Amino acid sequence: MLEVRQLDVFHGDAQALWGVDLSIGDGEVVGVVGPNGAGKSTLVNTIAGLHRSVRGNILVDGAELTSVASHRVCEHGVATVPEGRRVFPRMSVYDNLCLGAYRKGARSEHRDALDHVYGLFPRLEERSSQYASTLSGGEQQMLAIGRALMARPRLLLMDEPSLGLAPIVVDEVFEAIEAINREGVSVLLVEQEIERALEITSRGYLLAEGRIVASGTSAELLQSPMVRSSVLGI
Amino acid sequence: MSTVQAILSGALIGGMFAVMAVGLSLTWGMLRIINLAHFGMILLGAYLTFQIATSWGIDPLLTLVVTVPLMFVLGALLQWAFDRFGVAELNSLLVSFGILIIVIQTVSNVWSADFQRMTGEVNPYATGSLSLGRLVFPAPTLLAFGTAVVLVGAAHVVLQRTFAGRALRAFEQDRSVASAFGIDHRRLSMVLAGASGATAAVAGMLFALSNALTPSTPFEWFGIVFAVVILGGIGQILGTLVAGVLVGTLSALVSVLWSPSLAPFVLFSAIILALLFRPQGLFTQGAAR
Amino acid sequence: MIRRGLAGFVVVFAVLAALPFVREEIGLPVFYLTLASTVLFWIAQATSWNILSGYSGYFSFGQGAFVGLGAYTTAVLTGRRGVDFFWTLPISAALGVILALAVGALAFRLRSFRGEIFALLTLAVPFILASLARVNEGIDGGQGVVVSIPEFPEQIGLFPDFLFLLNLTIATAAVAAAFAIQNSRFGWALASIRDAEDVAEGLGVATYRYKMMAIAVNGLIGSVSGSVFALQIGFVTVEGVFGLAIPLFVIVMSVLGGRSHWLGPVIGAVVIVTMQDRLADAGYEGWRLIILGAILAILVVVAPEGLQVRLQQRPWISLGAFAGVVGVLAVLRVWGEPLDWFAAGMVAAAVAALWPARRRRAVPAGAAHARAAPVETSTESLSIERPRPVLGDVVVEIDEVARLFGGVRALDGVTVGIRAGELVGLVGPNGSGKTTLVNLLSGAIAPTRGRIVVGGQDIRGLQPHRVAHIGVTRTYQIPRPFDSMTVLDNVAMAIMFGRESRSLVDARRAAGRQLDLVGLGHRGDAKPAEINLHERQLLEMARAVAAGPTVLLLDEALAGLNPVEIDQAVRVVRRIHDAGITIVIVEHLLRVVNQLATRVVVLDRGSVLADGEPQAVMRNPEVVRAYLGKHAHA
Repeated sequence: MLEVRQLDVFHGDAQALWGVDLSIGDGEVVGVVGPNGAGKSTLVNTIAGLHRSVRGNILVDGAELTSVASHRVCEHGVATVPEGRRVFPRMSVYDNLCLGAYRKGARSEHRDALDHVYGLFPRLEERSSQYASTLSGGEQQMLAIGRALMARPRLLLMDEPSLGLAPIVVDEVFEAIEAINREGVSVLLVEQEIERALEITSRGYLLAEGRIVASGTSAELLQSPMVRSSVLGI
Repeated sequence: MSTVQAILSGALIGGMFAVMAVGLSLTWGMLRIINLAHFGMILLGAYLTFQIATSWGIDPLLTLVVTVPLMFVLGALLQWAFDRFGVAELNSLLVSFGILIIVIQTVSNVWSADFQRMTGEVNPYATGSLSLGRLVFPAPTLLAFGTAVVLVGAAHVVLQRTFAGRALRAFEQDRSVASAFGIDHRRLSMVLAGASGATAAVAGMLFALSNALTPSTPFEWFGIVFAVVILGGIGQILGTLVAGVLVGTLSALVSVLWSPSLAPFVLFSAIILALLFRPQGLFTQGAAR
Repeated sequence: MIRRGLAGFVVVFAVLAALPFVREEIGLPVFYLTLASTVLFWIAQATSWNILSGYSGYFSFGQGAFVGLGAYTTAVLTGRRGVDFFWTLPISAALGVILALAVGALAFRLRSFRGEIFALLTLAVPFILASLARVNEGIDGGQGVVVSIPEFPEQIGLFPDFLFLLNLTIATAAVAAAFAIQNSRFGWALASIRDAEDVAEGLGVATYRYKMMAIAVNGLIGSVSGSVFALQIGFVTVEGVFGLAIPLFVIVMSVLGGRSHWLGPVIGAVVIVTMQDRLADAGYEGWRLIILGAILAILVVVAPEGLQVRLQQRPWISLGAFAGVVGVLAVLRVWGEPLDWFAAGMVAAAVAALWPARRRRAVPAGAAHARAAPVETSTESLSIERPRPVLGDVVVEIDEVARLFGGVRALDGVTVGIRAGELVGLVGPNGSGKTTLVNLLSGAIAPTRGRIVVGGQDIRGLQPHRVAHIGVTRTYQIPRPFDSMTVLDNVAMAIMFGRESRSLVDARRAAGRQLDLVGLGHRGDAKPAEINLHERQLLEMARAVAAGPTVLLLDEALAGLNPVEIDQAVRVVRRIHDAGITIVIVEHLLRVVNQLATRVVVLDRGSVLADGEPQAVMRNPEVVRAYLGKHAHA
């Protein structure tokens, strides 16, 4: 459902991504792993429509996203869980979630979506009137995921959800991702926690220095020495 | 006038100060644009209220039917221009200063530099008042305060309870994530700026109810409005209302105890102190962003 | 060069000063002298404003404060205390400087002030002074103060002649000062502050000191000129001198004329005053302020650099427009008088100069110097064993350093000693504290706990420019060159204000050599906007090295480069290291760090995880876990 073809992305005149090709089928969980600074966040932000300096194609169910305005990308069924969560700090949990359903297609269903999210993350319901900045790291991650789900997406982009979280919490987060996927949402999972990520994905890509240098099933990638050498530089 | 009377009147007229300040505060806080032309819009609103009421014998309050939509459009248009030409932060201060000068001069050309004031027949509110024991509250003062409460209350509800309000708050806190969830910053900015213009129209009407108008009045508003905006916290609606009452009370106190001419001194000193020691405003929690 | 310029000013002054004496002989109406007097007054005001706001970028709305201060000083002292007019001038000057320094001390101390806040702060000052003047019976009391004409030598002639000479003297002094400043160290420092203040501070420019000097000059000239203004208007009122008309005029004049050059305010003042005069004369009083406001609003957006720059770019077209219009009007003689033709000619020239250029298809920076096509990385060239460097004494001691931001512990218990001659790679996952450590080492922030000692000196609490002089400079991940200076001058700046301060001429020569070291020798005359990213990264390095550090901090200097450029950059880093500079390099690109560094320090969540030889460190199981995943199930 997602096809990225020969994607070049620029920050000013610095090129961050060179000729990236990747695809995600309906209902898949696909991983993008790689060392720091490889361009993983740039890739996610570009697919989410936040980055315009682009050559190449991004197709979601056949629709070309590179020519769509930033704020209209979500109408094509793409929702983002940004790196570092980036919940709206001075808005309540409830407001953050409702904001997720802002797009035209999702607003009418926001009450149902809210019930669904609370079902998935009961702790959020307990804290629904608290300011998002008062939540713990793990709770903020749940909130960010819940906010994205409120948009009723077909494709969920997740940027390093494990960042800064304790192991137990990371387990909860990854269980939630699997539950979401079971309901039919495709997931693009970008992670530094390479081995953990490749456990829940079916396929993966290795991104290094702005290029896809390896791809295959998760099992293949886990066993490949390329992963270790590109990340550790040895 | 007894001191108590003066202070209470000052507190109530602070409502008008809050109405003047709230539009500027919102666009400054959410759009990072310091729009000096806002003062020009208040002036224009005041003169239009005067003219329409005088020429057509309409109740001054009803002139809002004309001035509010007009100022909404002007405000939105100005924001569109700022967006289109990439004007923000310091440049917005300069460009809007230029526009303010143009407005003041135009007003002077059209209405002359003489003081204009709505007569008693045109403006029934000038002489009306409410008596509570030995305290007398002129109608314009009560109207100003009432309007401020209604306006701020309505704005607060919109911001807290509606999707549009959430979108605005999200936009101010994290622009790009907000965009990822469908918030169109162009359209939102224009609506916000338009609303700000509309409040300027209301503020102008309130001012015209109890004051004589002259083109150079905006310069006297600088101290008051900036004091309210900064003390109340830039972009904080409720804070603006409280700060308005505070500034009104303070001005009245200074005028009664010392001299009306000292009011600007006190207000601007308060601004400087606030900027130095508590730039996030007196009523916001947390550190300055 | 400055001396020749100043000599020129003396000549101009002498010629103009002769005018009042020869006025009658050449048949020059007094009116022209009066107009010239006004022009000169505004030249002085706009120039003094520009020395602060144009040169340094700190936009002041408070010019009226100085004018009012000077005007009231003269008015009160001559009118009510019987002091001789000429004595009020130095008193004015002194008061102006004191006020300026007070405002500066308040406003410049807090570096978090964005431009608009400074503008608002300075806006407050005239209002406060006005308020005080109105209330104080001894100053104004709301009545205004009459200023009587002082006695002046007979030979001068009439009062307008006297006024003209006063204004001429002050204006000449002001413009000469602006000229001298612009071409001196002082001016260079101000320009660097305008372009990138914290970068300048980090290279050794004492920014606070220079800003205070600039505002002091502003205050001095503004006040003295204000004293003369009092004489000119004869009756000083609060609205007249503290009002917003004065800052409006000086801002428009400088924006129109150009803010980065001493000629700018002169041009702006001449154009605006002449135009306003002609409009008033023709009966268009009501249009004067409208046009002023429009000029401000439009120019800030369309041509912020001003007339001076544009005239320099299109000298012949502008001259042609001027001559053409004046010529036609002079020949036809159907409209106006010579002054009108002159004004019309000026407007024509201005329009011709400011007219937006037809947009040449924007050549993207660097397209002309196409960046090398990405090529398969060959690591062979870099894997040659480098000879172990001879290590000297410890130059940087980081001792139990912790840094907290609110409740977040960015760094804790970090102890690292760096010896002379090392090339230390500082690595770690996102959020590990690398950037915080670099900021601590450069003096941008201070540690919450612990000490940082460089070359034997504790740098805690020192301004970044002092830390730079002690020997630590840094580069920025996103290069931040001084955009208004050429590549060569960017490097010369660092040499001029670096450890051993040098003259401009020496600095330029030495800068050339530094550029050759990084391979940018051929690009010395280009502006930063014209060079590509790779070249900007190299410039960043050259500039930091030129300041003469003992320790160089490279913050992700390879960000955004393709493999060929990375190899080139690595060669440059090696050359810098071989020249004897100790380097700390923060990098994501671990394969590069492993090849370049003699030692690797790994940070994770604010603490040192490992410290030692690259190969050993990267095989340390804890480090591997930190990078590949702490949560990997066994």
